[in-house]
Amino acid sequence: MKDIVVNFTLNGRQCKKLVPANKTLLRFLREDMYINSVKEGCNEGECGACTVLLDGHPVNSCLVLAAELEGKTVLTVEGLTDDDRLHPIQEAFIEAGAVQCGYCTPGMIMSAVACLNLYGHPTREQIRKEMEGNICRCTGYTRIADAILLSVEKMDAIVAEQGADVAFRGIDKNFVEKWNASYEVK
Amino acid sequence: MLNDFELFMPTDFNEACALKANGAKPVAGGTDVYVNMHGGKKEADQVVDIKNLAELKGTSYTAGQGLVLGALTSHRQIEEWDVIKKNYYAMFQGCSQVGSVQIRYRATLGGNIMNGAPSADSIGPMLVHDAVCVVKGPNGERKIPLDKFYTGFKKFDIQPDELLARIEIPDTPANAGSAYYKYMRRGAMDLALMGVSAYVELDENDVMSHVRIALTTAGPTPMRSYSAEAVLEGQKYSDEIIIAAAEAVASEGKPRSSWRSSAEFRVRLLHDVTIMVLHEAVKRAKAEDKAQPIKQVLYKGQQGLEERPKVQG
Ligand SMILES: Cc1cc2nc3c(=O)[nH]c(=O)nc-3n(C[C@H](O)[C@H](O)[C@H](O)COP(=O)(O)OP(=O)(O)OC[C@H]3O[C@@H](n4cnc5c(N)ncnc54)[C@H](O)[C@@H]3O)c2cc1C
Ligand code: FES
Ligand code: FES
Repeated sequence: MKDIVVNFTLNGRQCKKLVPANKTLLRFLREDMYINSVKEGCNEGECGACTVLLDGHPVNSCLVLAAELEGKTVLTVEGLTDDDRLHPIQEAFIEAGAVQCGYCTPGMIMSAVACLNLYGHPTREQIRKEMEGNICRCTGYTRIADAILLSVEKMDAIVAEQGADVAFRGIDKNFVEKWNASYEVK
Repeated sequence: MLNDFELFMPTDFNEACALKANGAKPVAGGTDVYVNMHGGKKEADQVVDIKNLAELKGTSYTAGQGLVLGALTSHRQIEEWDVIKKNYYAMFQGCSQVGSVQIRYRATLGGNIMNGAPSADSIGPMLVHDAVCVVKGPNGERKIPLDKFYTGFKKFDIQPDELLARIEIPDTPANAGSAYYKYMRRGAMDLALMGVSAYVELDENDVMSHVRIALTTAGPTPMRSYSAEAVLEGQKYSDEIIIAAAEAVASEGKPRSSWRSSAEFRVRLLHDVTIMVLHEAVKRAKAEDKAQPIKQVLYKGQQGLEERPKVQG
């Protein structure tokens, strides 16, 4: 086993670390970076409790190697809070009662961020499709969808008050544009 | 922790080929390989991550020619591309139903082909769209039609020093339509218990040509149903001829019994799903706007995939 040096950005912070080749991003975040929001549920891509955003895309960190991180950006729930203020999505999860035991919640919130990057104002059906990779044993999902819809309202209200330039952590206004640039049409 | 291995992340194509020839396990999205490793399977002492190889990248469409999809193209890219919905609808249906959003961002078309699972969702649609695999090694490239690429269960026409580089899929004419149906027990995160894909071109007299039908989880590999295609080729579209094709499919498919379902049930499904999918492909061939979903209803009371339950809110 040979360790590998990786330079990456975690929740806005530049990091340089030595990682064993066979360590998953999930274990690396929890054990080496003290990011305890990412949860291990199934360790095989089924449950979504380990979801993080990798270069803006939701991935199961149990199926990613830490060694792949060179030059990449990782975002977890820890990176959503702005100083002492919760992200509108986090506030909405609390207010809508979308959290029971909480084990699925960090993964749910990261998938919610990803959903809102794709659809600024998603429908309930779009939310259900985008959240299909996150399993919750407690809530029955309805309140999770409620929370995402509420978070959209919250962000709209903040934009109405502070202007369109206001930025929300994790939300990339150019996501769709960047994504479309990956196709070549002649 | 995954089992111990040495990891290589080459940017040089020939280096990757040499590593593979030496027994290293190629990994693209890792959604099959790392799951197997988590399950305790020792895949190899060496792993070669192929995500940095330029030869495997790129996702392009040229009108009149078709698609060139690097092996690293993700299911998510196929799902979110309007070109696919317009011209290759079955591929949209297949790729958008792989695993979950998280899986589809990572999982690649190349990995779906090279994992060799008979349940692979992108393969049936690519088979009916007449995809060609381009494999590449130190001695250059070879092109193999996808329906010749599988030589047995998890066996392929590929050399130890070759990688699957890309997939080429011809453009579709305006009178073409395709469809895929994946039978699963729940609405997401389930493998295909059984699936059927179809492609058809229809002339102004409703005569069908270039008919291709492919079966998922109906044999050791994803497969074409040539006998059913022959039933339809050059015939006028009618309920009777579609039923005849479905019977041919049901006798050509050789599904196994598994914990998911019995072989008998799968054969019955093959028959019924073929009827539905052929009708859908024909409807799409006639449609003005081919990117529109057509409701898939196999049995009474079923909620079609595009028609998710309306929740109050
Ligand atoms: C939770 C979950 C749900 C899933 N659901 C589905 C589903 O609904 N439908 C479905 O079809 N699949 C499903 N899969 C399986 C898997 O996601 C797909 O097969 C995927 O397309 C594999 O792609 P990958 O890039 O991750 O492959 P990898 O795991 O990287 O590789 C798979 C195999 O292909 C080989 N390989 C990869 N690329 C190349 C190449 N370019 N040249 C040569 N060999 C190569 C590898 O060596 C390996 O043997 C699921 C997996 C998980 C974990
Ligand atoms: S722990 Fe990664 S998906 Fe369940
Ligand atoms: S709140 Fe308990 S698993 Fe979702």
